[in-house]
Amino acid sequence: MDKAPLILLIDDEPQILRALKTILTSNRFRVATAASGEQGIALAVAQPPDVIILDLTLPDIDGIQVCEQIREWSRVPIIVLSVRDGEKDKVAALDKGADDYLTKPFGIEELLARIRVALRHAEQSLGNKQSILKAGQLTIDLARHIVTRGVEEMRLTATEFKLLAYLAAHPDRVLTHQAILTHVWGFSESDHVEYLRVYIGQLRKKLETNPDEPQVLMTEPGIGYRLKTGE
Amino acid sequence: MKFFKDQITPLLIRHLAAILSIVFTTLILKLLAPFLEIQIIALIFLLPVIFSTVLFGFTPGILAGFCAVVAFNYFFISPYFTFLVHKTQDLITLIIFLVVAVVMSQLIGQAREGLRLARSHEWEATRMYELISELAGLQDTSSIAQALANHTLETFKLQHVEVFIGNRNGDQSLTVSLPEGPPAEDQVVTCVPLMTARGREGELRLWHQPAQLSSEEKRLLEAYTGQGALSLERIRLSQGENKARILEESDHLKSSLLNSVSHELRSPLAAIKASVSSLRSGAVDWETSARQELLATVEEETDHLNLLVGNLLDMSRIESGALKLQKRWNSIGEIAMGVATKMRKHLQGHRLEIDFPENLPLVATDYVMIEQVFTNLISNGVKYAPAGTLITLSGRVEGEFLYTRVANQGPPVPEDHLERIFDKFYRITESDRVTGTGLGLSICKGIIEAHGGKIWAENQPNCVVFNFSLPVAFDGALPEIPKEAVDG
Repeated sequence: MDKAPLILLIDDEPQILRALKTILTSNRFRVATAASGEQGIALAVAQPPDVIILDLTLPDIDGIQVCEQIREWSRVPIIVLSVRDGEKDKVAALDKGADDYLTKPFGIEELLARIRVALRHAEQSLGNKQSILKAGQLTIDLARHIVTRGVEEMRLTATEFKLLAYLAAHPDRVLTHQAILTHVWGFSESDHVEYLRVYIGQLRKKLETNPDEPQVLMTEPGIGYRLKTGE
Repeated sequence: MKFFKDQITPLLIRHLAAILSIVFTTLILKLLAPFLEIQIIALIFLLPVIFSTVLFGFTPGILAGFCAVVAFNYFFISPYFTFLVHKTQDLITLIIFLVVAVVMSQLIGQAREGLRLARSHEWEATRMYELISELAGLQDTSSIAQALANHTLETFKLQHVEVFIGNRNGDQSLTVSLPEGPPAEDQVVTCVPLMTARGREGELRLWHQPAQLSSEEKRLLEAYTGQGALSLERIRLSQGENKARILEESDHLKSSLLNSVSHELRSPLAAIKASVSSLRSGAVDWETSARQELLATVEEETDHLNLLVGNLLDMSRIESGALKLQKRWNSIGEIAMGVATKMRKHLQGHRLEIDFPENLPLVATDYVMIEQVFTNLISNGVKYAPAGTLITLSGRVEGEFLYTRVANQGPPVPEDHLERIFDKFYRITESDRVTGTGLGLSICKGIIEAHGGKIWAENQPNCVVFNFSLPVAFDGALPEIPKEAVDG
């Protein structure tokens, strides 16, 4: 790609659009803006963006719906913006195909980092998938089922590895409790978050340098977990 | 048929008994007649009459009187075995006897009736008293309906009673039926309305046998419904008064909220506005430390504003009862760590120590809400405890609760303020000295109480401690821990 990545902003607040447009343009992104859900979807069709930044509260259709409709034909990374306390909406959006979320108000560094992660992720899913992932001191070899911290090989139970592998397959992305429970344990509609808490606790004990201040297995309050690689 | 059996048979038996008593007396007197004078016989005949009146009632008494006259005339006044009377003296005796028997029966009957009435009045009064004294202590509509149904069922020996109370002021209408289950079908229903000054509040429905209720019982029933209606009216009035008081309080709250908020919101806004406008004016050069300083102010103050708005939202949610907890199994230690990480910048001036035992059980909590509690308690510590001091977070399980302790080394809270610091807008210090809306602790209280726990503050040597408890079980259940995890 020789052109700068195109970012589509869908938000009904003109101040936010103006500020983000200025900031993103000065960070050498190309920016398209839409003030409503319908307009956003139309723009996404007309001029496929590299990343979509989507506000959940829109004047015409719900942001979650926008997410769902775009997912019908596109794998473009979607970062959801929402105000504090919208945990339920955030989870719903993530379950409907959004890749990440940010709570308003947010720091611009945070947003830029998330955009970079999304772009990298999109590239990876286009090309060959990495089977070896580095996160902090950890090296996770998904193909050979080996996890090492520094040079030391870590012993994980089957479930622990399955959980870690699922998180590592989506590095730097928020995975909702439900998504993890479904993929790792096969629970469909259940709410056994306690399983997750226990296993994440064990993984942290084995893998984190200081389990009390995790650097790799990050909690997303009220939403899920994220495996952090770099930023 | 049943009515006939219940009502008529005893009456017949009583009259028959009166007649029998005369027959018996006649037989005995016939044997003794040769030895007795006629006046004595007449006197003796009065005995069964009195006896019948006292034992069987007024009409059997009168009947006995007439039978006695007939028997006396027929068997003891000559010519015998006829109803003729020859001697004037005998005629007088017979008439006097008749008069005495009737008058006596009547007097005794009246006395008896008087006694019966007095007893039934006493019974009515006792029942009334019982009902009134029970109703007096009740504070809600449903227990009044329950008490009224109970008492009616018991007092009138009914098969089924229903109390229906209509909906007023947007309450639900309610029906109490006793005993539970549908009433028998072969019975009549009497409905007595519960009337208050404002109209019909509801009604009392009774299932009973036809003609089971005497006129006194009907009167008592009316008194019952009257009392029930009065109690209902009392409740409605006190509810109205409560509402008025709550409205007044919320009015007061709103004005103190506005005062507090306008001050608290304006100061960060002022700082932001000042910083930004000076940056835009070009008075500050691009690469100076002054510029960095101004930008830091803008960012800090926006964070502060965000926190403030969040607190206000939480408060209004707690106040309006709209706080919906997303309870899930969470580790309290993990939440505390998360908060500590988020607040690192905020905590630069203080030392933070976190000490949660590893084997602490998961508790069903709303992650974001408990995060808010920690945030508020820690920032409270940061605000009041001198710089460089220690803030400690720790937890332990005791009985059915998990106790969390957030201690700061700030100045002790005066004993009489320990409870009141959780009130809205309550601040010990002058509001100019330390920033804050006075909402933080009351939000903590609201959140913890919504979780079914308690929060309290205490002074300990060298520190102020905020404790909160959270129930370990969720709807009576403990977390389902995967077996493999426990073994591993």
